[in-house]
Amino acid sequence: MAMDNLDMKILLAVQDGIPIVREPFSTIAKQLGLKPEEVVKRLQRLREEKVIRKFEVFIRKRKVGITANAMVVWMVPSNRTQEVGEFFAGFKEVTHCYERRTVPDKWRYNLYTVIHGFKRKTVKEVVKRLSDASQVEDYLILFSVKEFVRRSSGRVRPEDLRTPRTNGRLLSGT
Amino acid sequence: MRLKATGRLDLMDRRLLQEAQDGFPLTLRPYASIAKKLGVSETEVLERLNRLHQKGIIRKIGPALNPGRVGLRASTLVAMKVPGNRMRKVAKLVSRYEEVSHCYQRDNEYNFWFTVAAHDEVELEKVLEEIRLGASIAEDDVLDLRATKMFKVDVRFQLV
Repeated sequence: MAMDNLDMKILLAVQDGIPIVREPFSTIAKQLGLKPEEVVKRLQRLREEKVIRKFEVFIRKRKVGITANAMVVWMVPSNRTQEVGEFFAGFKEVTHCYERRTVPDKWRYNLYTVIHGFKRKTVKEVVKRLSDASQVEDYLILFSVKEFVRRSSGRVRPEDLRTPRTNGRLLSGT
Repeated sequence: MRLKATGRLDLMDRRLLQEAQDGFPLTLRPYASIAKKLGVSETEVLERLNRLHQKGIIRKIGPALNPGRVGLRASTLVAMKVPGNRMRKVAKLVSRYEEVSHCYQRDNEYNFWFTVAAHDEVELEKVLEEIRLGASIAEDDVLDLRATKMFKVDVRFQLV
């Protein structure tokens, strides 16, 4: 089912976090002039329909000591990317795993994994295990030195609500 | 991955975060449901979550939206070579774009990495070009690394 403007308004109101009070959705509903039950019902539906991928508490890793965060880029022969990608994705230490385009003469790495840890040493050990088990030996560990931006990539913007026509075009179907 | 006690979180904090991470109830009184599961009062749950939020340990309690489903159909990962003395300025510029969701300095000759999501290809190219020109980075020092396949996204931590 396509989303309507009201769905978008609700997502806009909750996307940066709901209040930590007894009835958080009543607070949101009040802002929007809706019944709390309506807000809850729509959020449940949006979660069922996978518009909301997950609804949960988000933790700042760095604040709980997870300061070694690495993007590891691998050069995997093209006939093995599917197999190795699925294999890496099966490790609980791997939070993200993507295949990406290469850039001729500049960047040959085509498989990307993100691995978090308390210490760089631990992360390096995990990478070594992945490498040994997959026999992919050409890789780089890119530790993050500084975090400048970190927010959810799926965001509703106020201008998305503009007109019903725009809304329909952007959001119907898929 | 498993979180050990870091001195900042006691066992109940960790049980609470675990519970709210694995399945937040979309009901009128979600914190009461969590409290019931953990055998504590709703007031205690609210106090603890508010404290963790104030300390910055909780970033938010809310949704992760599926970008494609909210109309963001074009996205990419970009790597750039940014001279060290211009890093802060470029970071500030890039941070201003709400299309940018992640931006990190990393230890490589390509030392500046960010992800961008836009409504369509045209908008995406426009943002990339604006950033590149605004940051005065040569085209040759930029990698546009489009994803061709997603195998996994699951950022969850085991707390208990």
